[in-house]
Amino acid sequence: MNALRCMPYVLRQVARHRIRSALTVLGVAIAMFLFTAVQAMNEGVTEATAATANDTTLVVYREDRYCPATSRLPQDYQRRIESVDGVVSVTPMKIVVSNCRTSLDVVTFRGVPKDDFIADRGDEIELIAGSIEDWRRRTDAALVGETLAARRGFRPGMTFDAAGITAYVAGIIRTDDAQDHNVAYTALEFVQLAHRDELGVVTQFNVKVRDASVLERVAEDIDAIFATAQEPTATFSEKAFIGRLADDIIELVGFARWLGLGCLAAALALVANSIVLAVQSRVSEHAVLQTLGFSGRLVSALIIAEGVVLALLGGGLGAAAAVMVAANSRYALSVEGTSIPIVAGPGLLAWGLLVCGGIGVIAGLVPAWQASHRDIAERLRAA
Amino acid sequence: MDTIIECRRLTREYRKADTVIRPLDELDLDVPRGDFLALMGPSGSGKTTLLNLIAGIDSPTRGQLLVEGADIGALGRNRLAAWRSRHVGYIFQLYNLVPALTAYENVELPMLLHPMSRRERHERIVAALDRVGIADRKDHFPRQLSGGQEQRVAIARAIVTDPAIIVADEPTGDLDKPAAHAVMTLLQQLNRELGKTIIMVTHDPAATAYAARTLHLDKGRLVEKDSIGGRLEAEEASV
Repeated sequence: MNALRCMPYVLRQVARHRIRSALTVLGVAIAMFLFTAVQAMNEGVTEATAATANDTTLVVYREDRYCPATSRLPQDYQRRIESVDGVVSVTPMKIVVSNCRTSLDVVTFRGVPKDDFIADRGDEIELIAGSIEDWRRRTDAALVGETLAARRGFRPGMTFDAAGITAYVAGIIRTDDAQDHNVAYTALEFVQLAHRDELGVVTQFNVKVRDASVLERVAEDIDAIFATAQEPTATFSEKAFIGRLADDIIELVGFARWLGLGCLAAALALVANSIVLAVQSRVSEHAVLQTLGFSGRLVSALIIAEGVVLALLGGGLGAAAAVMVAANSRYALSVEGTSIPIVAGPGLLAWGLLVCGGIGVIAGLVPAWQASHRDIAERLRAA
Repeated sequence: MDTIIECRRLTREYRKADTVIRPLDELDLDVPRGDFLALMGPSGSGKTTLLNLIAGIDSPTRGQLLVEGADIGALGRNRLAAWRSRHVGYIFQLYNLVPALTAYENVELPMLLHPMSRRERHERIVAALDRVGIADRKDHFPRQLSGGQEQRVAIARAIVTDPAIIVADEPTGDLDKPAAHAVMTLLQQLNRELGKTIIMVTHDPAATAYAARTLHLDKGRLVEKDSIGGRLEAEEASV
């Protein structure tokens, strides 16, 4: 209770040592901005690649191929895949990307049979603007993921060019699947004809299975059917498929985790330095507080609280800025037609604040212990 | 008159390298409630050590020290801190106000240790500032105050919790004569009007004129008791 009553003292110390507080908060904010950005990429990788019990989608790709341009499978594989026990639906897909390299701004066209697509995914898709009927009616119509639409400023009725294809925005869609956020769904034939004359050729098949327990067996059965075909297949769960194509990004993000930890260490060093200097300059002040009746524990708590306040201010600013930038820019790391979203939301902000609280506590521990355990009379004599 | 402070064979020793330093050596002293006691003596005689022991910010090596019925040597650090907050107000030579806080906030500091409503706290702080005649400067920071004004704020901080004992370590040591006179007059009023027991260390013979009695220490022992008796009125003092 004493510590709570003394919080105004802590806040005044922070507010009235403006330059020290501002520099510390700024430094922590920069470090936490970077840390939160790295965490946002990390969460995107987890969301895109971590398998869950609800995963029931397989991706059938051309064996030994790693990009949409080289994965070319006959469309008539569809009937044979549909005959495999456990398969619920098969969607042939022709994928064309505007940029084959890893980029934050890629447009991915996914050509799909419109009726099959609506029948298969209609329940998962929320149309937030435009018209499905419009999409069904027009050959060049695209249903655009909301992230792509927001990033490029697409609205229903507009046309846009990407990857040599001119498409009409019939609607903007929202789904829970990160892979839908940055794509434009169009008619399969439209993409097959628009890009090259590739009627009858698809990039992949997306296969829905009965339940997650048969995922592995169905994948093996599909690959067995085409093992001796001219175009053999390699079938993966959707998450594993993304992990395979986006391997470079995942490694990069894995490395960036170290950068994130470095940012935390920098924030810790900043706050600790600030608190150590503050405690050193207030040796007699803390002795006076103890003379007035503040216990050593209370003085420790006040010093730690000051570290926590500085860390929370800086961390809150940095994390909030990172979350806002990520949310507004709607970037996704795209490679070979797959998309790793940058996931930054309130959860990440809360996590950032929690980490900062911890940094503040750790930064204040040693100075707090030193300040509260030194002899009061000796400190007053030295003052 | 009851005794508020009892020292029996009170000894304080420090060890520095291989040398044992004994600023207080088996000192016996009784201070009656409501006394205004000045402690004088050369540097190193043990005045401040005795003051610190009475204030509960140091503990005796041997002997017994009873202050307001509490055995100071037997109290642990946290209990001693709680005891200090209730029973002792400390006035420093260099005021020791917290520079980042206003006069009002400095006086508020010891009040933060006592649960009470915000309104009651405010009233007591204002009363203490009024008492020392510095209420009009309550929003000033220490750097905006003169030495005498800072010491008044420090006195307000020492009395705001209404402690029975006020200890003052050379309260006029850093002040010019008029400011010192004002501060000593104030201490005298606190002693006379509020019945505070005041123990004051001083090198200034003029300051002792305001005390009820003066004791001299040398090498950790009392060498002369009641050498200067009687109380002089502030206006008679030649500070």
